[in-house]
Amino acid sequence: MSSSTQISAPQSMRTFRVLPFTPPPGASGLRQQVRAFLADNMPPTDAPYRANSWTVGDREFSRKLGQAGYIAMIWPKQYGGHERHPLERYIVLEELLAAGAPVGMHWIADRQSGPLILRFGTEKQRMMFLPRIAAGELFGCIGMSEPGSGSDLASVRTRAIRDGDGWRVSGQKVWTTNAHNAGLMIALLRTGEPGGRQEGLTQFLIDLTAPGVTVRPIIDLAGGHDFNEVFFDDLFIPDDMRVGAEGDGWKQVTAELSLERSGPERYMSCFALFLEMVRRAGPTPDAAMTALIGRLSAEMWTLRHMSMSTAAQLAAGNDPTLEAAIVKDLGNSFEQELPRLVQAAADADLDLSSNEDLARLLALLLQISPSFSLRGGTREILRGIIARSLGLR
Amino acid sequence: MNDDQSLLTDAAGRLFGDLALRREEDFTTLWTLVEEAGFPLLLVPEADGGFGGRWRDAFAVLRLAGYHALPLPLGEAILAAWLLNRCNLAQVEGLTTIAPRVEGVFVEGRFTGSVAGVPWGQEAANIVALLNGTLIVLSCGDSVSIEPHENPAAEARDTLHFERALAPNAPCGIDLTALGALIRTAQIAGAMDAALAQSIAYANERVQFGKPIGKFQTLQHNLAVFAEEAAAVNCAGQAAFAAADKYDGVAGFEIAAAKLRANMAVGVGTSTAHQVHGAIGFTREYSLHTLTRRLWSWRSEFGNDRLWSQRLGDQVIAAGAAAFWANLTERSDA
Ligand SMILES: Cc1cc2nc3c(=O)[nH]c(=O)nc-3n(C[C@H](O)[C@H](O)[C@H](O)COP(=O)(O)OP(=O)(O)OC[C@H]3O[C@@H](n4cnc5c(N)ncnc54)[C@H](O)[C@@H]3O)c2cc1C
Repeated sequence: MSSSTQISAPQSMRTFRVLPFTPPPGASGLRQQVRAFLADNMPPTDAPYRANSWTVGDREFSRKLGQAGYIAMIWPKQYGGHERHPLERYIVLEELLAAGAPVGMHWIADRQSGPLILRFGTEKQRMMFLPRIAAGELFGCIGMSEPGSGSDLASVRTRAIRDGDGWRVSGQKVWTTNAHNAGLMIALLRTGEPGGRQEGLTQFLIDLTAPGVTVRPIIDLAGGHDFNEVFFDDLFIPDDMRVGAEGDGWKQVTAELSLERSGPERYMSCFALFLEMVRRAGPTPDAAMTALIGRLSAEMWTLRHMSMSTAAQLAAGNDPTLEAAIVKDLGNSFEQELPRLVQAAADADLDLSSNEDLARLLALLLQISPSFSLRGGTREILRGIIARSLGLR
Repeated sequence: MNDDQSLLTDAAGRLFGDLALRREEDFTTLWTLVEEAGFPLLLVPEADGGFGGRWRDAFAVLRLAGYHALPLPLGEAILAAWLLNRCNLAQVEGLTTIAPRVEGVFVEGRFTGSVAGVPWGQEAANIVALLNGTLIVLSCGDSVSIEPHENPAAEARDTLHFERALAPNAPCGIDLTALGALIRTAQIAGAMDAALAQSIAYANERVQFGKPIGKFQTLQHNLAVFAEEAAAVNCAGQAAFAAADKYDGVAGFEIAAAKLRANMAVGVGTSTAHQVHGAIGFTREYSLHTLTRRLWSWRSEFGNDRLWSQRLGDQVIAAGAAAFWANLTERSDA
């Protein structure tokens, strides 16, 4: 190749496709409605709870959101949904996250359990679960990871073995966020031969109140209780609680992960900390603080447009696996770096043991930010997905 | 992308790709081809004899100019023509470029002073400059002397001196630095994509340890991060140009954010591209430097990280934390 060569992208290379975010008319009216709803209904939360608020649960608040039509926004009315546009849902989600509203109780069910049931479930399953999820009364959790299966999810070992008109399950799931609040788990189980891979996996709806299920808390390093281990001891699952065909679990999980990875929560976990830093900086900060605020604003503004573009891809029916992986990895790096940058630039006398909001937000986020690039697929796994789209694998 | 825009990008892609192969030929030959194709009048309304394009069309075209490392001041000419039209001044004959820096006085319709960093000032017929809220149109033939300079990519960035040069003029409330930053953002987006494509092609081709180096996970991950940065610049660029359409060129917040984000991405892009290429990429012979040297240059032009982070920070601080989210959403809602 010489210095006057024309660049032609490799045939197999895919890169981020930008799509404009064009919600139906009335987007800003919808924002005002959500803001008014929050002004009336947002529980008085302590500063640290406004960070990472999609893991902070509040049953009463979720029920109010359900009543107001802010859960299950895009599902058909016959299942309790509201038949809104997917980009209207996006607007509501980002408003809730920007306000630091405690949406953790229903987040997973609204984002992924419900859509999975809607797409692959039977009519009976839809009627049984969706209206209660929409009402903010039934909450969900994701039963994918096991002690031996993290990044290598296809190696899932917990087996479901045929038993009459159902299945028998003994085994364990781990890191199950919200299992202690949820009534419903969507579990990825092995129905094929032990030791198999993708092909032998099937998804099931598990009633977490059934005999044979035990949920045990796992306390995280900051002392919080969000995730759990879940044990199955000779649990019986009726066959009509199987989601999709036997052996289709992997395909379905892949679709589910696109939903799990593409939302605004993947860059906004530290938004409350950013706002508090700007508030504390006041009208006349020094040049270094001004520059940091500028830099973080530029990154956040860009990520927001990338996230909105990905939402538009999803709404248009395109497969945004690559875009979701890019937004999540870039977003996680941003929200993970933010506490470090705030710590470095804050007033030299900022005391992390003090009761000031900035100190408490920072103290919490410094501790929990390592999880941002683990939950929902690790940084390394996402980069592998991106490399595949680039045509390198 | 609508049909008009894909016609435009097809034409631009073909022409710029062709010109990239002829980059050693003389400037006037190459520029004439771009001018004859009508690209400099992209943003001038059809009623005034232009192409009637929108800023988002300009993004698509200038991104391609960056992609092909087009050795011509196309963005500058597009901007100059738009400014003249916007300030109700007549279009002028020949290549019109813009002045990033101006020093001097403008009295009684005459300019005395110098303009610096002017892209292809030596080849241009006219220079549009902004001095204390007045847009002036200098004729290069009136200059008393010209100092040729080049940026690190060997793109001409000349200084011209004038004494009592008569210049058509009009009041203009537009920030020329911001608009310059806007066009550089589109060029950076294109050059990042091209350097990424070239790096990936090379990684799939170059064999070491018995396999293409692109099969090594470390390279895959580094290139994935590069792709993320390229995606960020492209997305930021498109959003800023869309805002320029919405706010008729005056999109201070979005342009500041987009140029800053683009500047931030250049480091990862250029260092990864060179690392993947090894020694061959460090040669004059191999074409990677036509992209990377431009990226390093453009990172400074029309505002480095310091300038834009200060300006953006100032805007956010002036509005206050409580208004941050409301402003962000209001500016992007239709
Ligand atoms: C806060 C939190 C909430 C979670 N909630 C849930 C939940 O609700 N439901 C659920 O099912 N799971 C949940 N998880 C689990 C999460 O999905 C896993 O942590 C994740 O998939 C990684 O698995 P692992 O922890 O076993 O790490 P491992 O897979 O053992 O990985 C350890 C390290 O090795 C790297 N690595 C692994 N394989 C490769 C490879 N091929 N190439 C390069 N590097 C590699 C990883 O990237 C990582 O850095 C949660 C995790 C966290 C932290």
